[in-house]
Amino acid sequence: MSSLVGFLSLVFAIGINFYLFISRYIFKFQKQKFNLLIRFSSLLTLLSFFSLMYAYVISDFSNYNVFQNSHSNKPLIYKISGTWGNHEGSMLLWLSILSIFSFFFSFTKNIDESFRRLTLIIQSLLHILFGLFIVFTSNPFLVNSILVDEGLGLNPILQDPGLAIHPPILYGGYVGYSIVFSIAIAGLFQNTDDEWLYVAKKWSLISWTFLTGGIALGSYWAYYELGWGGWWFWDPVENISLMPWIAGLALVHSLMMVRGEQAIKKWIVFLSILCFSLSVFGTFLVRSGILTSVHSFAADASRGIFILLIFFIVTGFGFLVFLLKEPKKSNALNLLFINKVSALVINNILMIIATLTILLGTIYPIIIEVLYNKRISVGGPYFNATVIPIMIPGFLLMSIAPILSWQTNKIQSSKKYVLSFIILSILVLIQSYFLDFNTWGFVGLLLGFWIILASTIAIFSSYKIKFTIKFFQIINPHIAHIGVGIAIIGITCSSVFQNELDFNLNEGDKFNVNGKTVLFEEIETTNQINFQALRGKFLFDVEKNQSKKIEAGKNYYPVSKMITSEAGILHQWNKDIYFILGDQKNNEWFVKVLINPFVSFIWLGVIIMMYSGLVAVSKR
Amino acid sequence: MSRIFILTPLIVLFIICIFSLVYLLSGKDPNKPPSALLNKDVPIFESISLYNSKEIIKTNDIKNKKTLINFFASWCSPCKIEHPLFFEIRKKYPELYLLGFNHKDPTSDAKKYLEDDGNPYDFVGVDADGLIALEFGVFGLPETYLINENGKIIFKFMGPITEDILENEIEPLL
Repeated sequence: MSSLVGFLSLVFAIGINFYLFISRYIFKFQKQKFNLLIRFSSLLTLLSFFSLMYAYVISDFSNYNVFQNSHSNKPLIYKISGTWGNHEGSMLLWLSILSIFSFFFSFTKNIDESFRRLTLIIQSLLHILFGLFIVFTSNPFLVNSILVDEGLGLNPILQDPGLAIHPPILYGGYVGYSIVFSIAIAGLFQNTDDEWLYVAKKWSLISWTFLTGGIALGSYWAYYELGWGGWWFWDPVENISLMPWIAGLALVHSLMMVRGEQAIKKWIVFLSILCFSLSVFGTFLVRSGILTSVHSFAADASRGIFILLIFFIVTGFGFLVFLLKEPKKSNALNLLFINKVSALVINNILMIIATLTILLGTIYPIIIEVLYNKRISVGGPYFNATVIPIMIPGFLLMSIAPILSWQTNKIQSSKKYVLSFIILSILVLIQSYFLDFNTWGFVGLLLGFWIILASTIAIFSSYKIKFTIKFFQIINPHIAHIGVGIAIIGITCSSVFQNELDFNLNEGDKFNVNGKTVLFEEIETTNQINFQALRGKFLFDVEKNQSKKIEAGKNYYPVSKMITSEAGILHQWNKDIYFILGDQKNNEWFVKVLINPFVSFIWLGVIIMMYSGLVAVSKR
Repeated sequence: MSRIFILTPLIVLFIICIFSLVYLLSGKDPNKPPSALLNKDVPIFESISLYNSKEIIKTNDIKNKKTLINFFASWCSPCKIEHPLFFEIRKKYPELYLLGFNHKDPTSDAKKYLEDDGNPYDFVGVDADGLIALEFGVFGLPETYLINENGKIIFKFMGPITEDILENEIEPLL
């Protein structure tokens, strides 16, 4: 029953959008009626999504999708997250989020009515394309042809609270760029005033903040669930999310800087189209099954071709409009040796080069396989050797960019900065000398500390400290950059100064980690609701009264016959001690301990960046 | 000049789409990577029989005969799906030597599995610690390899084989 409701409301929603789209060329709606229809179709799409969720919650196995991907034994939260833990459901989530964005955009005030309407029409077009994709190739409402009373289960690695909310948040970013795309295209068509730039700024900030949160959640999940001890693997699917993130960062910065320069406006339109194109491209690569990973649920050529077509239409349309309707009159940029505009230009060039470098690394294996029928993989070494050096000058620039002037080459109190940079370099050099010196470690730490220091100096020397909302809005760019600095320190320390220890242990053995004694208490197996758990129990720092318990082990999911590893992590503010339980051999357990210094700084930095994103949204 | 800049994204889009389309249409399946072992010598292995620990099979034992090697386990549900096909192969090609490797399985479970579903293999080797699978580069179960008379791997398939694959890809090689 819920499947029928879901399917019909989806088809009806697509129908309304189709009606809106064609009616644009036949007759004009009244404002009220147009808004009503847009919102109604959004609500119908959501109804469709919630019908599917309802089928999951009540374990309605007469729905084929539920049967394939759920199990009545699962805890409620994973029944709910099971809704988007599969290809069909995740595409419906995609469409629902598109509808939510259209819904809220339809309430935007202070914007030209015909412009707003055109934007929504473009959203409708996207809704139609993706809606048809769902109906024809990925229908989550198919009826199960056999009568069953149990489902086949959900991929166990997806049974994790972090991952349950990772897709909706990430999609909030990906799909959020659709509205930025629509705004930019509408801007090209109407090209009246610059009001749309301020609207675009808000939406691109919202999308970027969502994307940041989504990527961070996925990365955090990989860190403690995959049990490899790292948090970023340059996996193609990670790269796909990183590309719109960097392009989006360039977009946000360009929008901050725009002061009516036509050249920047042109660039903003380009970036807006690029961001959404990269999002759709990512959706294509993952959903077509070209990339196999935890994200690809099923490979199906017809789906791949359909979504490739959508990608081609959307991106081709976007860039074609850009080509034909480019903003014409162009007044020159106020480029000086070092002012805000030139910093912005350099920053954008670097970010686009970084994005293209990642794009090349991501599609290179596809090109090679088509041309030479060889399968290669492009991984960490390529990206580390290319992307990081490209970004470094950008990071350096970032530390001073907010205090640069618009009109002149002067930097306020530049002596202070030069002096503090020299002192900081010496301090970091001394510190690196006493720890084992590592070039990347030195560069990373210096960059991270320098960004934090320079931003702090800028806050204290340029503004009067007041604890008002306005003050926090003004210093927000500096705060965002401090977040980046903190994240850079975390990234540098956890990757360059990671320490790995291997042990072969019996129960009851004591061993030494980082100067602290650890007791390997016992191995315990327990039966949980939907899996069996094998846990090695460790007592960290046994000689103290407040010794900490750590559990590392594996889960066995009988329904899908899969084993997942569960790392045991002891979080401390300055390091994570990361326990991985390996296999048993000759009655000894293999235990790997990783000491990851300052990992928490990465998450802290990300949280600060997201905070800044939200503050920037609130700013007019 | 600036025209070229604006055209670039469209050109890049075309190139990406064409390559992706060719990739999709060529029926390339991530489940079927071109194996590094293809057309290479079969890896050196040595394994005891599931039924008699004194009986040993070595790489040299399968030289001079066409051999189909299948990695399976009692805990692997896709293996169960392809299992009946091996009886069909057995019937159609009695000359072909069918070698099964039981992968990371308790002996009792493996025996029960072959008792319940039948044993199509000429020899069932034990790969308890998965080292043989490692030599073959097995990604996941089931996996099937065809070795020719010269001891070269001429076909590899990841996942359960189907009627289709048997007919179109394996039989032409037999």
